[in-house]
Amino acid sequence: MSDHDHDHDHDHENTVKPMVDEITDFEVLEIALRELCIEKGLFTAEQHRVMTEYGEQIGPTPAARLVARAWLDPDFRNLVLTDALAASKEVGVDWLDPTGFGTPSDFYAFKVLENTPEVHNVIVCALCSCYPRPILGNSPEWYRTPNYRRRIVRWPRPVLAEFGLQLPEDVEVRVADSNQKHRYMVMPMRPAGTDGWTEDQLAEIITRDCLIGVTLPKPGVTTNVITASVPAIRPIVPIVM
Amino acid sequence: MSGKSAGPPEPGVESVAVETLEEIARRNQVWSAMADKYGVENPVPPWKTSLDGMCDAIDRSGADDDRTFTFKDRRDEEDVLSATRYADLPYPENQLVALAHSLVARGVIDETELRHRLDAVRARLES
Repeated sequence: MSDHDHDHDHDHENTVKPMVDEITDFEVLEIALRELCIEKGLFTAEQHRVMTEYGEQIGPTPAARLVARAWLDPDFRNLVLTDALAASKEVGVDWLDPTGFGTPSDFYAFKVLENTPEVHNVIVCALCSCYPRPILGNSPEWYRTPNYRRRIVRWPRPVLAEFGLQLPEDVEVRVADSNQKHRYMVMPMRPAGTDGWTEDQLAEIITRDCLIGVTLPKPGVTTNVITASVPAIRPIVPIVM
Repeated sequence: MSGKSAGPPEPGVESVAVETLEEIARRNQVWSAMADKYGVENPVPPWKTSLDGMCDAIDRSGADDDRTFTFKDRRDEEDVLSATRYADLPYPENQLVALAHSLVARGVIDETELRHRLDAVRARLES
């Protein structure tokens, strides 16, 4: 950085991320709609700003920590299963005032569903896209789609298989249907190969999808892992019995 | 869509044409295309979190006052509109346009007013 004789244009090309240098119709529409809503009294600019900030900062980290601590501490596990709102507070999430400026109507009841060797839980909102946002962040796009919402209720095993989760026949699959008053989250079983791990280590492998119930935690698979992959040359391999 | 009675379903918001929004959909400046054009890596457009905030703020407003449309109305109409009039738009563009469509179809926002505001906002952003 001490050399000021370099070519500025060249330097900036290498250090500044490209951006969309064009004002799109959608960008304009979002602003126009927001301004009109504010003028019509649907909400205030301050309410919008707080909601936007809230939406940007929430994520699955508190939920992962809640499960990791429950795996390590039997008393905390009992609290999670009997009073999930109180347990959430211990990882920094207050469901009764998640945004810090009042209680949105849909944050009333929260229950954590514990997986066992006999039962696997998965969550959905068949009606719309209700999701435990305060503790898990915004839902993934596929969770909102009518195809997931409709099909996971009717054919849970095939839909889980589409996510790569094939469960043994003797494991019962329970689909918890969220609604405007009730939100659910899955507490997966602690996987083998994690003996002696700390809460931080365990929290790393409890990804968002484990907490929805469409996958299981595995040592080495964390939210930050970039999985090496190669093109599928022979994606269908016949099984020889 | 509500299934409240055994009669034929009432025409929903998708039966209302909002030409201003259809023009936007036809121009199709969706984020994936814009990001490709400029070599941008962000998976979602920069206005998405503001749209999320707007939806949350409207839902909260609907909960306080049942004269406005509720969270369930908004999401039901988004699903219907995303499958019909705006079927060619991806998410979250379809969510944004559906929200605008719902508010126009319900008379909360007048289409002419929206068109004028779009022009004014664009002029401001390009100034």
